[in-house]
Order: sequence, then structure tokens, then C-alpha cells
Amino acid sequence: MSSSLRNFLITRIFLTIPMIWILITMVFIVMRILPGDPIRSQLGPKVSEEQAMALRERLGLNRPLYVQYFDFLWKMVTLDFGTALTQGERPIIDELGEKLPATIELTVPAMIFTAIFGIVSGAYAAEKRKKTIDYGIRLFSIAVYSIPIFFMGLVFQIIFSVRIPILPLAGRMDTLMMTNFRPITHFYVLDSILQGNWAAFRSCISHLILPSLTLGLALTGVFIRLTRVNMIEMLQADFITAGRARGLPERRLVYKHALRNTFIPILTLIGLQFAILLAGAVLTETTFSWPGMGRYLVDRIELRDYTAVQATIGVFAFFVAIISLAMDFLYAFIDPRIRY
Amino acid sequence: MNEKNTHDNDIDQEYVVPQWQLDLDRVGFVRKIFLARKWYGGDWWFVVLSAFLLLFIIIIGIFPQWFAPYDPKAEVSSSLLAPGEAPSSFVLVANIDSDIKEFKEIASSKNKVGIVVASPSSQALREAVTALNDEAKAAGEPATYNPRPIRFETLEEGLEATAAGEVNGFIAAPAELEGIIEKYPQLEICGALREETAKGFIFGTNQIGQDIFSRIIWGTRIALIVGLSSAIVSILVGVPLGLISGFISGPFDRILTLLMDSLYSFPGLILAISIAAVLGAGIGNVIVAIAVLYVPTYFRIVRGQTLSVKQELYVEAARSLGAKPSTILWKYIFPNVIPSIVIIFSVNVADAILTEAGLSFLGLGLPPDTPDWGIDLARGQDYLRRAWWLITFPGLMVSMVTLAFSMLGESLSEILNPRLAEL
Amino acid sequence: MMSNDKVLVQVRNLSVNYHTRLGPVSAVNDVSFDIYRGEILGLVGESGCGKSTLGKALMRMIMPPAKISSGAIIFDGEDVMKFDQKRLRDFRGRRISMIFQDPMTSLNPVQRVDEHLIEAIQVHEPKTVLENAQERVRTLIGRLGIQERRLRDYPHQLSGGMRQRVMIGLGLILNADLIIADEATTSLDVIVEAKLVDQLREIREEFGLAILVITHNIALVAEIADRIAVMYAGQIVELGDITNIFDNPLHPYTIGLLSSVPSIKLDDHEELYKMSGEPPNLTHPPSGCRFHPRCPEAMPLCSRFCPNMEEVVPGRWVHCWLYQDHPQKERSTIKVKA
Repeated sequence: MSSSLRNFLITRIFLTIPMIWILITMVFIVMRILPGDPIRSQLGPKVSEEQAMALRERLGLNRPLYVQYFDFLWKMVTLDFGTALTQGERPIIDELGEKLPATIELTVPAMIFTAIFGIVSGAYAAEKRKKTIDYGIRLFSIAVYSIPIFFMGLVFQIIFSVRIPILPLAGRMDTLMMTNFRPITHFYVLDSILQGNWAAFRSCISHLILPSLTLGLALTGVFIRLTRVNMIEMLQADFITAGRARGLPERRLVYKHALRNTFIPILTLIGLQFAILLAGAVLTETTFSWPGMGRYLVDRIELRDYTAVQATIGVFAFFVAIISLAMDFLYAFIDPRIRY
Repeated sequence: MNEKNTHDNDIDQEYVVPQWQLDLDRVGFVRKIFLARKWYGGDWWFVVLSAFLLLFIIIIGIFPQWFAPYDPKAEVSSSLLAPGEAPSSFVLVANIDSDIKEFKEIASSKNKVGIVVASPSSQALREAVTALNDEAKAAGEPATYNPRPIRFETLEEGLEATAAGEVNGFIAAPAELEGIIEKYPQLEICGALREETAKGFIFGTNQIGQDIFSRIIWGTRIALIVGLSSAIVSILVGVPLGLISGFISGPFDRILTLLMDSLYSFPGLILAISIAAVLGAGIGNVIVAIAVLYVPTYFRIVRGQTLSVKQELYVEAARSLGAKPSTILWKYIFPNVIPSIVIIFSVNVADAILTEAGLSFLGLGLPPDTPDWGIDLARGQDYLRRAWWLITFPGLMVSMVTLAFSMLGESLSEILNPRLAEL
Repeated sequence: MMSNDKVLVQVRNLSVNYHTRLGPVSAVNDVSFDIYRGEILGLVGESGCGKSTLGKALMRMIMPPAKISSGAIIFDGEDVMKFDQKRLRDFRGRRISMIFQDPMTSLNPVQRVDEHLIEAIQVHEPKTVLENAQERVRTLIGRLGIQERRLRDYPHQLSGGMRQRVMIGLGLILNADLIIADEATTSLDVIVEAKLVDQLREIREEFGLAILVITHNIALVAEIADRIAVMYAGQIVELGDITNIFDNPLHPYTIGLLSSVPSIKLDDHEELYKMSGEPPNLTHPPSGCRFHPRCPEAMPLCSRFCPNMEEVVPGRWVHCWLYQDHPQKERSTIKVKA
């Protein structure tokens, strides 16, 4: 590892810390400083003022704001989220430990699908710029971007589970199978492989197809657009002209030279666009009753479980910061200008 | 066309200029835009198509009452009618001897009315009773109609019970009765339960009997209000911040940039969800929650452009001539960022409409009786197996409006983006 | 013009048009010239006069919206305009190669130096064994004065001059007959530029290839070229031996161009010659001779008819009515002595 690379990575790690700090502070501002009384909304109007005060005191909400803030920061950093107010007062960290793997299991196949499909068709559209196929691909990308992800999910449900019932409608696994399935890591696909439970594995995969396809397809629009614009720019670069002047085949120029260079800006953008993926995951999870982070968040908001809500948003913030850091590392690995 | 120059050549005409390019010099502005299609090709068509679509959508949004046949909140017919389907009429079956002529006669609380369990007749019964009570109230009489519904497993069981006199009357659809009623000579069809509305609804009705077509027409107004106002609020906050931050640099710029980058990287919908959840339902709160998401987008673009324009020679020259910073910012830098703002605005409105629909879908945005696409989609989800039209039309409407805005943005950026320009 | 085995490239009546949204631009207009084997030909002109376009047209590298609208390019007896894509690819790189202005950007930033060179060999000679290719690369790189350990470097680790040498190497690795250097030294500093110029000359001696040096820098051409072609507004206005043109320029534009070059004599306070007018807008080029609005010698005839490229003495072509006859010409034709 060269010293410039090491410096780059250390700088990035140090930049991630203020980012996490800002995001956690943002959660705090949204949850405590914005108008609206979480306790009142949690308990409902019927509860007496004494009971509300008691709950405030239990949650430490009667202390000065700055004390609350530092307490909040400390609890977030130590991952001490407290217990859920509803559903048997389980520690929230345990609940999130089950939900996060579900979300990851949903997003990873979606990301792989969208990256492959989006980058290939974006590059192809760039190569054929201003030809019919380019306009076709662009129209497709605008269209999938414009269709609300939950609507796309619902349409898929109607087609593939109601009209032609070949795929399950919702959930992560058949309910019957859940009874004798004991999750270890809560990545169900992984768990079923570890246990050699092939029926469960098949069930997991068939449940995964529609949600991840929906999520992946919805993101493809953005990917095609990013790849295409960056590719067009890259194809006008001097080294492509120089390669053409050396008689390198066009295909090689587009898919080897230009595309490999396009990966660098695309990768930074993936890091930033990751937010879209998570936002999409919330809607996809709600549509397909997928018991992940997003659905958990929406459920807890409905139940007014404000401790769980702030913990969930905090975990999302961590997740985003870590992905962004990971993208920077990958970026350093791909771009030799940083590596050396 | 290209010949070697000879001395006889009067004008050195090396190439044939396409006629449209010659025309370009002579025609007015409107014709120029029209002729531009030859140069921009597909993108020109994208812009024109989306512009027309938007014009149409905006007209619908401003004057929904011109297009919507019904009040979007009114229950206009029976529920879950498929597109074009007329509400099915229900008839009252009673014993010939009972001498009943209409439903009103047996609608008091001491009577029993038979229905098949979980069939549409139960709702028809409910509606008929409500209608009778409303009528009575309007006439100033006490509203006391409340017959006891008796549920039967099958039609035959119900009819036998009616024939035996166990219930005063039985309610069923005429289509169901066909071929079965003949087996019970002691029964007769007394007539329709209530007056029929024969015509159907173009997009059908939802689960509470509202006209879906009217609801999506009125939903356009909500979507446009939320989309446009939140985009405008973001511009009003993001653009000045970006200009100033890029212009003055220094620690202010660094802190603001870090803040905006963090905000930008955070999943927008999740942020909007939490803000909307804390603020509570209401159109103003939704606008605020969505506007927060797009401030960083404007900030980043405007700041980046300000930084690069600041280096330009003409700005340096103006500075060296002693122009005030505010003059430089307003007269030299701001005009340069306008094209990008236009492009982002268009895409931003599209995204804001999607986000709004998403929030309402999660039940977080607007009061639940609002005619809103997201709310309709969320409700329709429960009837996925029975009524496809509940989600299809609001969904298509969101997609169409978003498509129009993002197509405009995408093709404008293709035309205006200097990074993609060829010449 | 002569046509024997001395001639490597014959360009005849070549025209290139750009189709912009403001209308077509005639970037290269009816240009004819030859490039001889093993010579260094300098192509000079102001920026925007079409010299780079002409260079690219020689390789048929004109991309839409520009187009070669007419003309012929005969390379070593073969008509380049008739090549299909496969033939064209083979022609580029193997017979003809190009070095660009900006050495920072003309190498693929994510490819190592040796990968560039080996890729060139493998694409054009797919049968070559990797070891042989590597051997060839090592030999060549040594001759260009690049250390062998530099082969595993990425372009951004090299200096500008070194990168241009790699670009030259990419032309030489397949033994091209012609290298087009398009403003290849413009972005280098003076010392590095001088080194590169020396190297270009050495390479010409060593490999016997022809070099077309495209530049706006007359001093560079004087330094390096055997012959010089002066270009103005898409046309070559004068072509001849470097010494002849510098000693006795014929075309009014060449005369103006040469007298506007500053000299570095310290006591020289002579005012530089400034040419009147602006280079023309090529969307609507002037009628007749394109230089006539700026020409101090312009005649009524000049705005009406375009002159031919005529060989006034052997090896010396001028595109000007001063040296050509025309029935409507008012002044007598100047006869040039050999």
C-alpha cells in the first residue's frame, strides 16, 4: 500500500465520522426539536398528564435539551437503543438485528440486478447515441424511473401471484415452513443453506424474486442514465480518439477502455445513489410485507413507538455512512490515480 | 456537388446546404423551434411530447371540476364496480301471500330480511336501509328503518326459509335467481330494492363506492400542488445557499458542504417519513418534509457551478474593475446557473410527486379522505385479488405525470448540458 | 503533382464539412497535396483553420456530425476512401499513427504503459506470442529512452514528455509509415519540447518514416520540417521546401504570417506585422479566394473566383491569383524564378 493510498483512506475514515455525527444530530433535531409532542402522540389523548409525565421521566425527556442530546449521541454510539415500548418490551437492538439482514437480503440481489442491467444498457445506449435504440433505452429508463416502486410491485403481484399464480404474494417464506425453521443469522437464504433445508431455500428464493426484481427494476432507470451520460463524456475523451487512431476495434474501445474508466465516476455515484435504494426498500418492503428495516420503521411510526423509530433511523444513518465509506475504498482500488 | 473549381464557377459552392438549414436563417422564433427538430431529433420530440402532456396535466390540475363527473369524496354507487360495469340491481323476493309490494314495508326493526352470507346483497341491504332512513329524515319523520339481516349459507336455503315464512323477505341479484326461483312457486319477485343507476363508471368505483375517475382527476391537483411547491421551496433555500457558499468559500462553505453532503446521502424518503411522522398529516407538512430532501440537490449543483464560473476570466475582470461582490453574484454568476436549475427543477418535481405518493402510500402524508393517488393505491392494495382497477388507474396517473416531468428534464439536459454537447 | 514511388500519400480535392446546428461549416475545402516517404512535412496555420481536421481526415477519423464530403486519399497506391471498417482499422495503427496535443489525456488512465503497447500488437497481429510482444516492447522502449521499469507504470505517473514518447512508441511498435503529430509539443515546456523535436528527427532517420507535424508554431516547423504547407480557412495556400518558403514567401498570407513571428534579438524593437481583419467564419466563407477580405494585394477578381493550387516552380505550389492567369485579370501575372 502506497503512502498516498493510505492517506486517502485515512482521510475518508475521518470524514465519515462527522458525517455520522451530522446524521445522528439530524435524527435528534427531527425527533425532538421539531414541533409535535412524541409522548402525547404515543400515548394518545386519553392518557392523563401524570402518566405522560411519568413516561417523559422514564425516557429522560424532561431534562434540558443539551443533556438529552449528549445522552442521545452516547446511546447511538454505544448502540444502546433501549427497549421497544410495544410488543413485550424487547431490546430494540435485537429486533433490528432481525430486520437488518432481511433488508440486506432484499437489497443485494436488487443492486446486482440493477448494476448489471443498468450499466450494460447504459453503455450500449451511449455507443449508439442518437440512434433509435438509444432513444428506446432512454425512454425505458425514464419510464421505470417514473413508475412508483410500490405500484410496480402491486402490478407484479397482480400478474405473477393473482392472475398467474406462480410466485408467492408476500413475505419471506411460506408460513408453514416458518414453524420448523430456526434462523441463525436471519439471512434466510444463508440460513437455509447452512441447515441444508432445501425446501426452505426454494421457498426463500421464490419469495425473493418479485420484491428484488421490483426494487432492481425501479433503480435501473437512474443507473442507465448515469452510465449513459458518463460514457458519452468518456467516449469523447482523447484517449478514446487516440485508441481509434491506433486501429483498436470500436467494441474494445467502448466496452474495455471507456467502460472501465466510466466505472470510476459511476462508483462514486452508486455510493450517493445508495440512498435511493434504501428509500425504495422501504416502499418495497411495505408492498410485499417484507419484514425488514423499512417496514419496521413504518410499523413503529404507526404504533407511535418513538424510541424504536429514532433507533431505526439512526441505524439507517450508520448504514449509509458505512456504505459511502466502502464505496470510497472500492474507488481507491479501481482508480490507479489514487492507488499510486 | 463537389467539382474541381473551374474559372467559370461564379460562387464557390462546395456542398449542398440542406434546405432546412437555409430556412433557419429566414424564419421567426416559433418556426425556428419547429425546425430545430431536424437537429435535435428524438430529444426534440421528447420535449414537445412532454410539454403537451404537462400542459394537459396542468389544465386538469387547475380545473378538475371540468373533467371530473362526480365529487371525489361522495359515495356515488355501489362499491368495487369494475370499469364500465353498471351497479347490479337487487330485488326483493317475498311470499306471494304476504302481499308485499316494496322493501319499505318490511324494513322496520321487527322484520327479518334474508341474505346469502358474504355476498354483495348484504351491502345492497345496508345501502337500501341507509337510503330509506335518509329519506325519512329529509321528510322530518323519525329514521327507524332497521330490519334484522338473517344470513344463509346458500341461496336455496334462503329461499326455502322465505317460502316457509321464517323471514319476511329475501334479497338477491336477478342473475342469481334465474332458473332457481321457478322451483319455489310460492315466491315472487316484488321488484328492485331501490331505483337503479344504470350507467357504469369509466374506471370503476372503489371499495366505498367513490368514482375512481373523479378521484384521480382531483388527485392531479394535490400532486401538482405538492410537487411544485416543494420544488419551489427547495429552490428558494438551496440556490441562494449554493451561490453564497460557492462564492465566499472558507469554513462556512466547508461546513455547509459537509452538512449538505450528509443530508444528500441520507435516504430521502426515510427522512421525509420521519419529518412527516413528527409533524403529522397535512398538506403543508408534506410540502416541508419533501422540500428538505431537495435542498442539497440544488445546493450541490449551484455551488459547483459557482466555483467554476468564479474562475472565468470575465468574472476576474469584473472583480478587478471593482464590481461589488453582490453585483458579481447576481449579474455574472447567477445567469450561468439558471439552465441547470431549470433541468433539476423538472426532474425534482417528478421526484417530489413520487415521494408524495410514497408518503401517502405509507399513510403518512395527507388526511385520509383526501383524493390522493398514494392513498388510493394504499387502499387498493387490500383488494388486490378482487379489484385490479383500484390500483391500476391511480398508479398509471402517477407514472404519467412523473414521466412527463422527468422526460422534459432528461431531454432538456441532453440538449442544454455542455458536457454532452458535440458542437 | 508527381506520382511515383517517392510519394507515400496523395491527397486530392479533399473536403470536410461539419454539420452544426448553425449550418454546415466547410472546415477543409478542396485540399490537394502529397506526403513523400521519409519526409517531415509541417502543416501550419492559425487555430481553427482546419489543420487538425485535415490530419484526422487522412486517417478517416472524421466523426459525425462532420463528414468527408469528397476527395481521394491514396496511401501507398491504395485508396483509403474505399477501405471497409476492418481494412481501415488495420490501416490505422499499422500504416499510420497519430500523436495528440494533450499527453495527459491521450493515454488510458487505468491501463499500464506496457498494456497499451502490447494491446496494440495483439490487436493488429493476433498471432503474436505474448513473450515476443513483450520483447518487442522492451526493445522499442529502450530505443525511445524510456527506462524498462517505467513499463509497469500508469500514465499519470509519467512526465508529459515521457507520455508523448509512449505515444510515439505506439506508432512505432507496428512500424507505421506515417506519424501525424497534431500539436504534439504544444503543451510541453520549451526544454522538453526541444528534446522531443530532436527525438522525432532521430526516429525519422532511424525508422525511415514520414512525419506530418501539425502546429501553429512556425518556429517549430522551421526547426524540424523538410517541407511546409500553409493552411488558411480550410485551404492550403502555399506548399514548398522549408528554405524556399522562409526565404521567399509567395502567398500574401504566408508573407503576413512569417512577418508576424517575433524574433528574440534583444535590440530588435521593430514593430511586428499585424494582419488586418479576422479569420473568416467558415459557416459562410467569403466568396472567391477565402483570404481576399484580408489580403493587401486583393484584386476585384479575387472576390469572384477561387484560384487553383498551381505549381509555380517545380516543388512549389501557390493558391493565389497573383501567380495565375485568368481572362478577367487586370494585373499581370508574377513569374517566379526557380
